[in-house]
Amino acid sequence: MASVVRPNTWVALKLPSGISRVIQIAPNTTISLGKYGSFPANLIIGRPYHLTFELQDKLEGEDFSRLRIVPTTELYAEIFADEVSPGCSTPTAGANEAAIPTTADAEDYTLIDAETGNVVARSNLATAIDETARQTLTQDEIEELKRDGTNAGKDVIAKLLLSHTALDQKTSFSLAKYKLMKTKKYIRRFQVLPMDVANFANWQLEERDSSRILDMRAEMIGLVGCWGNAHYGGEDVFLEDPRASTEQGQEACAAVQEDLLRGRWLVVDDTCGMLVAALAERMGVLNPEYPDSDAEDSALSAAAAETATEESNTADAQPQQQQPDTEMADAQEDDGLHPTNPHNKPRPSDFAIPYSQTNTITVVHAASQPNLSFLNYWGFDHTAPNHPPHPLLSHLLTLSWLQLLQPSLDTSYSTPPLVATQQELAGWKPSRRGNFHRKRRRFARTRHVVDAARAGNFSGLICASTMDPISILKHALHLLAGGAPIAIYSPTVEPLAALADCFSVPRRTAWTSGQVAEIVGKSGEELERWAGSEDFPLNPTLLLGVSIQTSRARRWQVLPGRTHPLMMERGGAEGYVFTAWRAKPAEGRVEAKGKFKRRKTEPGAVAGAAEGDAEEVKAAAEEA
Amino acid sequence: MAPTTRQGISPFLEPGPRTKANSLAILQLSRDNFLPVHLQHATGEHDGYAEGVVVNTRFGSFPHSTMIGVPWGSQIRASKVDTGSRGRKRKRLPGDDAGRDENGNEVEADVAELEIETESAEPTTDTPSGPKQAIAASSGFVHVLPPTPEIWTTSLPHRTQVVYTPDYSYILHRIRARPGAVIIEAGAGSGSFSHASARAVYNGYPKEGERKGKVISFEYHEERYKKMKQELSQHGLEGIVHLTHRDVYKGGFLINDGESPEAEAVFLDLPAPWDALPALSRRRPEGAEGADESGKPWVSPLNSKKNAYICTFSPCIEQVTKTVSAMRRLGWVDIDMVEIANRKLHTARDRVGLNMPQDRGVNNSARDVEEAISKLAEIEEKFRQHARPSRSAANTSSKNGDDGKATSNGKGASREEETFTSSRPWADGRLIVRGEPEIKTHTSYLVFAILPREWSEEDEAAALAKYPLGQEQAVVGDMDKASRKKLRQELLKKQGDKKQKKKEKAEKLDEKMDETSG
Repeated sequence: MASVVRPNTWVALKLPSGISRVIQIAPNTTISLGKYGSFPANLIIGRPYHLTFELQDKLEGEDFSRLRIVPTTELYAEIFADEVSPGCSTPTAGANEAAIPTTADAEDYTLIDAETGNVVARSNLATAIDETARQTLTQDEIEELKRDGTNAGKDVIAKLLLSHTALDQKTSFSLAKYKLMKTKKYIRRFQVLPMDVANFANWQLEERDSSRILDMRAEMIGLVGCWGNAHYGGEDVFLEDPRASTEQGQEACAAVQEDLLRGRWLVVDDTCGMLVAALAERMGVLNPEYPDSDAEDSALSAAAAETATEESNTADAQPQQQQPDTEMADAQEDDGLHPTNPHNKPRPSDFAIPYSQTNTITVVHAASQPNLSFLNYWGFDHTAPNHPPHPLLSHLLTLSWLQLLQPSLDTSYSTPPLVATQQELAGWKPSRRGNFHRKRRRFARTRHVVDAARAGNFSGLICASTMDPISILKHALHLLAGGAPIAIYSPTVEPLAALADCFSVPRRTAWTSGQVAEIVGKSGEELERWAGSEDFPLNPTLLLGVSIQTSRARRWQVLPGRTHPLMMERGGAEGYVFTAWRAKPAEGRVEAKGKFKRRKTEPGAVAGAAEGDAEEVKAAAEEA
Repeated sequence: MAPTTRQGISPFLEPGPRTKANSLAILQLSRDNFLPVHLQHATGEHDGYAEGVVVNTRFGSFPHSTMIGVPWGSQIRASKVDTGSRGRKRKRLPGDDAGRDENGNEVEADVAELEIETESAEPTTDTPSGPKQAIAASSGFVHVLPPTPEIWTTSLPHRTQVVYTPDYSYILHRIRARPGAVIIEAGAGSGSFSHASARAVYNGYPKEGERKGKVISFEYHEERYKKMKQELSQHGLEGIVHLTHRDVYKGGFLINDGESPEAEAVFLDLPAPWDALPALSRRRPEGAEGADESGKPWVSPLNSKKNAYICTFSPCIEQVTKTVSAMRRLGWVDIDMVEIANRKLHTARDRVGLNMPQDRGVNNSARDVEEAISKLAEIEEKFRQHARPSRSAANTSSKNGDDGKATSNGKGASREEETFTSSRPWADGRLIVRGEPEIKTHTSYLVFAILPREWSEEDEAAALAKYPLGQEQAVVGDMDKASRKKLRQELLKKQGDKKQKKKEKAEKLDEKMDETSG
């Protein structure tokens, strides 16, 4: 993630009211913040994130506001004043504090002028709040002050405070509240925050539609990522281009090489792509790579160069980027006719696989197309036919459940690719030729994605889905490598509890002790692909360490003398995570009965080998 | 890639498909009982065991040879190992620590937690000279799992308070620990955070002169430092975690004699983070001691081109107050303090009912009012029948008896049936979820903050030259309804004949508007 705002990226502008405006920062535009004013976007492009800017008064002859970076000493001026105030408070107040310790926590609250450092107003805790306290400024006067809008709204706030007849009678808390309220309303400041997964999720949760990300809080994103063990899965490995001619069909497709596949995560995402973004961030494939910003302003120049060459770049994207659609196919045809092309690498054939074999995310979706719309915030559009370079292009694989489970029913997988001789091709119209290539490319890609997914051996399974987790596991468990972690998020606990119950001790005991008639005589391979029965929806021996957890971050306000947890926080769905590891049960019957018979306290000759039994045995052993 | 080139890669990062010798594996003994084991090939008898290196658990003995080269997650049966004669042999070697082999490696360090099976296994006839082929026993089994920071955190040898998964997962998310990042960690402690952050920043092992994701770790306690160093090399993480033995309050955060690690994230698990914070400035902090004695310019450990994210981990609120105060004075922004409450939940079958089997965890009281009534009626009836002989009024009793018999017969028969033919014990009772018996209500307070990169007048001037003002064409963001409508109509007109695209774009535009005005 870049440390400065790049042109055309999404950013969040945090306003004094606490609201974030999420805007795509296009150069040469004016950004309007409503009542807080407007400013040219070029004033924040190329500047670092997290700075607080203040809209300045318009200069003579300029019709826009310039920005000023607010130094932190100014941001924290009031807190600093509070920190020192106990020492310099009035003698009476000091005496009070000493005499009655209960008042010590009610500290003075001061309003100080930012420029001069003078104390403008100070609260007086000796007097009670005057019920008749009034603001002497009329609404019209306030409106006038706002229109003049001088000094980034600080004048309005100061005037409002000074015109309050009973300001000196307010307690520290009510004065603080009053000041905060007025500041939120009038101060013309904002902060630029990067649109990374943490900020995006927070914004989506707090201010937008939390149900679209299934109420997934930051704690849950962290837990799911860690328990799912999602991390960088190794250097990119690409399959060799089979260089198939247009006369060759299916047989020329490069076969999936299972030994090359590693660092792959299977994902079921009903959060519109937020989960995929979080995982991609953990795997280092979310943000487009920029040249190293070591030089003084290479970040800036790179950004500039990028905008300048954007249009020209898109056409001749990197060789591993697929060029999926009709118009592109023609452009590609033409490419071959231009030997002057500076990046004159051989054009990949139709059957070239643009996906890396490692460090990938495979998304299985329930609809015919995946819903990954939130990836737009990171410059990735899943539906774009002609995409500028983006790491997700070669690391994000999507397929539907139908393609995964019954590929023969899927048209794009089962229809053999078109073939044509060079002569035939030459005789076609460009649009037909383009279609021909597009279909062949789509066939090869679908073939690869489906075959690779069905080959299994995934490094982990991570879900945040509205579908029943039992049915997901029924069809995904056998695709996981041994020891692979599983992390399933659900906003509510019930589906996860039902899932965990499938792996309960009584079920495992019954399964391993041969009480289940259906499984008698089945091989280990058959049991791995257990289709489920009413009593045993899943093979209970396929998961280890099944557990459910929930986490909640409690936020605190930390201010001198006023530190406490926040009074209000988000309610709604709590959020739970189911975790487990994929087991490879030993073939045949596993006995576990011999060793404990000497101890009287333990149930001798425990039938069945489930760890649950072992656990009971252990518990008994510890009691003894 | 050929497996040989992956030999040096940590099993935490790329475990590969199967277990390997000379690599860490985790044995899962029971649900929450993990045992880290360094798998070793043995060429012959080892420590008195004919089968080579053997792990003894309460679920039996497991020679390493049965656990090497199997797929991860495999269920491993216990083997028949002659532990008895070995025990006697060992008594003749008083200098030998219980459960420790010549290398004194970590396998044995953990054996203390285990109960060594001393009862005699079925005696093996004789001891051959080579490593003996293991024979499966029926005492039990374990599963062998690839190491992950999560399992390691629950199974590691405690040296200090451990940063557990609920905390570190949240911290790493908030301090933006991503592949390629450089993280400073002070107070390596037991190493749980080191392992988790190493996984987070890992984007390949750095070759000579290459800059890759790295954890710059500091530990002042010498014993812990040595242990940690040994652990890192055993786990193949030396290329990712750079461990230094130092007191960061005095020594600061530079590495390799004055070189800046150029970190972009910091995690401080120290008793006094405020004393370490000044060293994490962009410029020489005021009143820095001992920094300029050599005349060298002050070097910041932070990456000057990146924003720095920090998290401090302190158990007490007083520490938080001081830390936050120091952060404010040092120019950190977006200061946020949270504490994480994590709960593990157990699912169970809540079995309540008079007709449930007499089993552990079954509450044999009435399931509902109906059951209570029928039981009471039954008792009532029994009582009456018991009392009947003393009474002589045969008429009344027979009348009552009919009634009572009808109920008890109907209910009783069905109950008996349920009690003794519960063929599906897993489906009995109601599925419930409840918290674990003990919960960690407080681990530590987490203080997060960000130190933006420095922005000088020159930087501003350069940026202004790059992106000049005065060419603004459109307004983005809040607009009143009228102008938004106008803009939309204009755009619609432009699209002209392409009906399909027109619709899409209008929708997209709407969406964007909504998002920006949100």
